[in-house]
Amino acid sequence: MFTYSLMAGVLFGLYFTLIGLGLNLVFGVMRIVNLAHGDFLMLGAFLAFWLFTLFAVNPVPAVAIAFVAFVIVGLPLYYLLVPRLLRAKDPEMLSFILFFGLSQVIEAVTTIAFGTSERSIPGDQLGRAIAAVAGVFVGHKVETGPVELLGQTFPAAWVASGIVSGFAVLLVYLYLYRTRLGYLTRAVMDNRDEAIATGIDVHRISAVAFGIGLGLAAAAGVFAPFMLGSITPAMGAEVTVTSFAVIVIGSLGNPLGTVLGGVIYGISYMFMQSYYSSWANLLPYVLLIAILLVRPSGLLGRRVRRA
Amino acid sequence: MIRLSVFAALLASITTAGARAADAPAEIKLGTLYASSGRYASISMPVHDGLKLWIDQKNAEGGVYVKAFDKKIPIKLVAYDDQSSTATAATLYNQLITQDKVDILVADSGSVLTSVAVPIARDHKMFLIDQTGTGANFFTADNPYVALMADPISSIWPKPLADFLTHDGPGLGIKRIAMLYATNDFTGTQATAVRKFIKESNSGVELVFDEGVPTETSNYTVLLNNIRASNPDAVLHLGYASNDIAFLRNVQDSGIKFKFLFSIYPGIETELLEKNVGNKALNYVFTYVTSMDIAYKNEFGMSLKEYSDAWHKKYADSHVEFGFNSIAGYTTGLVLEKGLATADSLEQLELRKAIFSLSGKLKTLDGTFELDANGGQIGELTPLGQFIAGEDDHLKLVTVWPHELANGKLVYPRP
Repeated sequence: MFTYSLMAGVLFGLYFTLIGLGLNLVFGVMRIVNLAHGDFLMLGAFLAFWLFTLFAVNPVPAVAIAFVAFVIVGLPLYYLLVPRLLRAKDPEMLSFILFFGLSQVIEAVTTIAFGTSERSIPGDQLGRAIAAVAGVFVGHKVETGPVELLGQTFPAAWVASGIVSGFAVLLVYLYLYRTRLGYLTRAVMDNRDEAIATGIDVHRISAVAFGIGLGLAAAAGVFAPFMLGSITPAMGAEVTVTSFAVIVIGSLGNPLGTVLGGVIYGISYMFMQSYYSSWANLLPYVLLIAILLVRPSGLLGRRVRRA
Repeated sequence: MIRLSVFAALLASITTAGARAADAPAEIKLGTLYASSGRYASISMPVHDGLKLWIDQKNAEGGVYVKAFDKKIPIKLVAYDDQSSTATAATLYNQLITQDKVDILVADSGSVLTSVAVPIARDHKMFLIDQTGTGANFFTADNPYVALMADPISSIWPKPLADFLTHDGPGLGIKRIAMLYATNDFTGTQATAVRKFIKESNSGVELVFDEGVPTETSNYTVLLNNIRASNPDAVLHLGYASNDIAFLRNVQDSGIKFKFLFSIYPGIETELLEKNVGNKALNYVFTYVTSMDIAYKNEFGMSLKEYSDAWHKKYADSHVEFGFNSIAGYTTGLVLEKGLATADSLEQLELRKAIFSLSGKLKTLDGTFELDANGGQIGELTPLGQFIAGEDDHLKLVTVWPHELANGKLVYPRP
């Protein structure tokens, strides 16, 4: 029970890393809190549902489609909303209000389009994709179904989301530390005013980061029907709260701290489910309060926030 | 002399009826809440749509007959969206009573959103028309201001299930039961009832796993592993629709095959569960058999077939699935219709008296409407059924308990 909970916690935490990654990137670059983050995840989930239902597109390619589509959506949305917000006296606080409003609009429009009932994608779809990829590596057909890891069996979706999450973290890392755009992004994260003074096109950098943030949320959304049971237009708010807890645990503004925050959340959640199941859903809030009291800057503190 | 007396009495009754009709309000205000979003939307919207269907039908006929005024009066629906939030619901119930001054107060669907209405209605001395809030603690001897219309009270829902497990279970080899439930009034009460029934049976059946989880739980993988570790012969999952969807999907995705698996909503919102979980995962699952699958002989209102046709015609473009909850909303309307046709006034306790007087006599597409002394619904049945796929993969819900209602043989253990 202990080993299973631990391993499940790591996999579950990796999924929440993927969820929190985009939120933290946006905060790190723009110092604004995207309270509609969970709603963009929900939209990604409905995009995957729609692609599967209408065109039988497997969720794995849907991850790439959702990511690209929402990066494209994010760019104009940034220019529509954020520059005006940043001109305000207290953009951080105003961002709460603006994105809360956006969250409500997204939820309402999605409810009109899809209704209120739960929607899902068949659970074996991710298993099929994993089996197909594994079949290429081992050279023979691999059976679909749950995946065995270190003697423990997990749903294929958990493994798939863990892999994609790890891949996403790697890409964000490479973007931030190995590309010119990434260097500029880190410069903006470190000090926005100095970045402007040195001639960096801060809005272009921020727009790209905003787009990537939404893209990551949408990519995480593709796994939501598998990791969160089902999807509904109202799921966004709860996801936002949990992902906010995850990034605060790791460190606000530090995308890589999200990995730590996600894994700590995942492991704690699974142990709570195993040993104190009735109290499991209090965990994000308890962790949030504990971190804010003990180490307000998050576990990874200022080091990477100052990049 | 006798003729004169009869004439005088007749004249008096005509005059009174005329005066009553003249005093009649232009409309009956029916206040209710619904959840168009959030966790309970999928159980709230079908109930609300069912109630609306009844209201629209009555208004198309010129209104509902109100005995107190001896005429048909149109119903004005005052409905607010509580978005599945109990805090919002509490505010809106108060608004319906104090600001809108509704004549009839109808609760939102489900125990969670009804739980806040019960004390508010009681404080304001409003008789709460509880549609599907089945928590047993809502109905107490000291509260005359609530009655359950369309679902059995939670404490009797699992009686057939527990009876099956304790009577036929040991013979089939079912001795170890695992129970996982969501900690809310609806399923928490059912869990308590299961524990009680098993304990009182002295059948040798024991609960080897008994855990509660928050209603918001959406991932059960670790819990399933823990249940499997307890080596149960039967697994009972008691939760709302979203819980059942997540639980049954996780069972399938984890590759676990429990010998006996029971959950509530496959029998209640079959269409929704089939869409989300799939026929393969529902095959051999045990559930409650509701009025969706029991063809009750209705003596009032539409039959199941007529109602289903009317629903699908009215809500053809809707995203709301037809199920037991949509029947519940319509049943609420039918009980109200009979109640208004019986009550001598629109006073709240008179309405209560009228509705209680229907107990055991009103038979609708939802079965017999019967209340206990405290307002809990006890007339409707919840037999135990099992989904079994035919050759065309189409699922059929077979009633397996009680024996007198059984229409097929159960499959145990699950292949």
